[in-house]
Amino acid sequence: MPDAMAELLSGARSDALSDAWSLLPTYLTPHIVLCAAALALGLLISLPLAVLAADRPRLRWPVLAIASLIQTIPGLALLALFYPLLLALSALTMRLFGFGIPALGFLPTLIALTLYAMLPILRNGVVGLNSINPAVVEAAEGVGMTPRQILMRIKAPLATPVIMAGVRTATVWTIGAATLSTPVGQTSLGNYIFTGLQTENWISVLFGCIAAAALALVADFFLNLIETGASERNSKRMMLGIAGLALGTFAGLAPLLSNEAATYTIGAKSFSEQFILADLMGDQLKAEGFGVTRKDGLGSAIAFRALAHNDIDVYVDYSGTLWRNVMGRTNTPSREAMQAEIVRWMKAEHGVTVLGALGFENAYVLAMKRERAQALSITSIADLARVAPQLTIGDDLEFLGRPDWASLKSVYGLSFKTRRSFNPTMMYHAVDAGEVDVVSAFSSDGRIAALDLLVLADSKHAIPSYDALILIAPNRAADARLKRALVPLIGAIPVEAMRAANLTVDRDTDKASPKEAARVLAKAVHLRSR
Amino acid sequence: MTALPISNSSVSVPCIEIDAVSKSFDGGRSFAVSNVSLDVKQGSLVAVVGGSGSGKTTLLKTINRLVDPDAGEVRIDGVPVSEAEPPTLRRGIGYVFQGIGLFPHMRVAENIAVTLGLLGWPVHEIETRVTEMLDMVDLPQDYARRFPHTLSGGQRQRVGVARAIAARPRIVLMDEPFGALDPVTRDGLGSSYRALHDRFGMTTLMVTHDIQEAALMADRIVVMKDGHVLADETPHTLMTGSDDPDVAALMEVPRRQAERIAALMTENRPVHA
Repeated sequence: MPDAMAELLSGARSDALSDAWSLLPTYLTPHIVLCAAALALGLLISLPLAVLAADRPRLRWPVLAIASLIQTIPGLALLALFYPLLLALSALTMRLFGFGIPALGFLPTLIALTLYAMLPILRNGVVGLNSINPAVVEAAEGVGMTPRQILMRIKAPLATPVIMAGVRTATVWTIGAATLSTPVGQTSLGNYIFTGLQTENWISVLFGCIAAAALALVADFFLNLIETGASERNSKRMMLGIAGLALGTFAGLAPLLSNEAATYTIGAKSFSEQFILADLMGDQLKAEGFGVTRKDGLGSAIAFRALAHNDIDVYVDYSGTLWRNVMGRTNTPSREAMQAEIVRWMKAEHGVTVLGALGFENAYVLAMKRERAQALSITSIADLARVAPQLTIGDDLEFLGRPDWASLKSVYGLSFKTRRSFNPTMMYHAVDAGEVDVVSAFSSDGRIAALDLLVLADSKHAIPSYDALILIAPNRAADARLKRALVPLIGAIPVEAMRAANLTVDRDTDKASPKEAARVLAKAVHLRSR
Repeated sequence: MTALPISNSSVSVPCIEIDAVSKSFDGGRSFAVSNVSLDVKQGSLVAVVGGSGSGKTTLLKTINRLVDPDAGEVRIDGVPVSEAEPPTLRRGIGYVFQGIGLFPHMRVAENIAVTLGLLGWPVHEIETRVTEMLDMVDLPQDYARRFPHTLSGGQRQRVGVARAIAARPRIVLMDEPFGALDPVTRDGLGSSYRALHDRFGMTTLMVTHDIQEAALMADRIVVMKDGHVLADETPHTLMTGSDDPDVAALMEVPRRQAERIAALMTENRPVHA
């Protein structure tokens, strides 16, 4: 991305860069906490295991094999695997002991990263302990040391340089892999990368990469001091390394220690509108003096479960999504009947509060380039169904798997020649370039107007309405302060305002960050700003 | 160093008794040590001589329980060593290795003090003792802060001897103690050790492959081959003849060398064997 690099270097996009800087404490602190905890836990498990395995070939082989196997699982998959696992475990503990385990965020990430950190420490531990001259060990026995004294006074110091080399490898891996924790709801430097990818904000992506690399380099520098200090028996050098690491960790933790009292966790799915709305709600809460943490980039299915389990306190979801995907309904009642039923069902089944609708709809719609639609004389989905077998549809990785598509297919008898899937941004590029004829657009998307797309009329009401609703977690159901802070948003955002805000983030040039877009949106709809 | 741990009257009492000891490392197919009995008197320096595989090192290790025998018994002052916990037993017995026995990550002073620390000596007494030991083995005091790899082979072995005898053990075991050293250093160290041995009335069992070293240092020489004892005599008796052909051949080496050197000194011309 040479353009982005040039932008970053020239400082032409200083607003995006200063946005990124302002987020650094928010992202860096949990990143450091996460990595330090995973490495500490990794050391705590791996070192005793290495000591046991070093003397026992029968244990050594399976232990190292399992550790290597874990290493071959891609980091993102390993993180994702712990979500359903912990969810099941949480259900079990809930039934047995009456409390659940958080399945999102810190815990699954910590477990995955700890497993990841174990192999290099374990392998170097075993190698380090086994490469000690046996004559030295026999001398230690000869002067009357107990096995424990031999381990602590002879083997441990002699193996330290090799073990430290393993710890360095583990540290660099962990700091890198921790950026993958964003999709499971753990805030980290990965938030720069994932939100940057979603909103095509390359400065944010680069910033995240550079920040993670810099953190890894700094940690490696101090660990190197400890390693060389240990091998040269230079205790000053070792202490310098340890002091550096301790100081760095403490500096990273400082914002955490000086935290405000009440904090709310706002969730967001992985697209621009969600980021903007999360920032908008965050600004409202901050204006009331509350602290805010974020869990961004949650998968569509994960977000609601996270709320129902109190892993997040509030987020915005859409009535149609809840109706079809969460509640499993297949009929399409009127807008009012649907909302009333959602409110009732949420309370009854999950204790979730529907605070209200924001005022706009983000429905799935089918859209085409206007001139292409005119050339084919298409204005509605019914028209489309006639020529669809000769056309190609592009979707956003989700649509063709949703009940909406099944409903469209059965109501209109739709069937296309080819289907292609893209991430949302690429999907719009594809329809603009004519690579696909029809796309599953979002009704609040600013690019519908910007790209001059025609939204095809759903005259048979195959797709339900998708009103944006603010949902509140069961634990916060009685939290009047939270509700008071968010109520001004209810009914306040017309679809035009949302489209304009989305466009400033989604367009290719002169992009704004979600944070900026939220501020502009707040002003546009006359919300009280900070 | 003050009071000697034993009185002269007990000199003839066996200090170490090795009683019909056997050891096999392959489940009984072959024996590294086979039914060996040996008494070491209080205050004596006994050398066990033999080639590699003769079982001499295994025999030595049964005394501080680095090796436990399959059959037979080792006693110190009449008490079976098997009754003592190995670490406790070993702290009371000096043990000298070939050069590599020093701990590479510890300074000279720490190496010398290692047994004292294990025995729980107070810190100031340890410091005094380390200073004393450096003097005793003729090493400069400023060597205390150096690491073993900065020392020559001879200096390292002096540290090894200092470490072995720092806690004033009554018994010292030596495994090829001076084997890797050049002849001059080796002779010097051998004589120094013998002097220390006599001065503190220690009882020493030394394993060596070098018959000349054994003949010049020891009160008694035990010759081993294939796990058996071939001879157990004073150096004088061995040098003047043995019935066993292997022992006779072994003793022939230093005797012929001594004759050739004597000839060199009187006739002032090269002597060929």
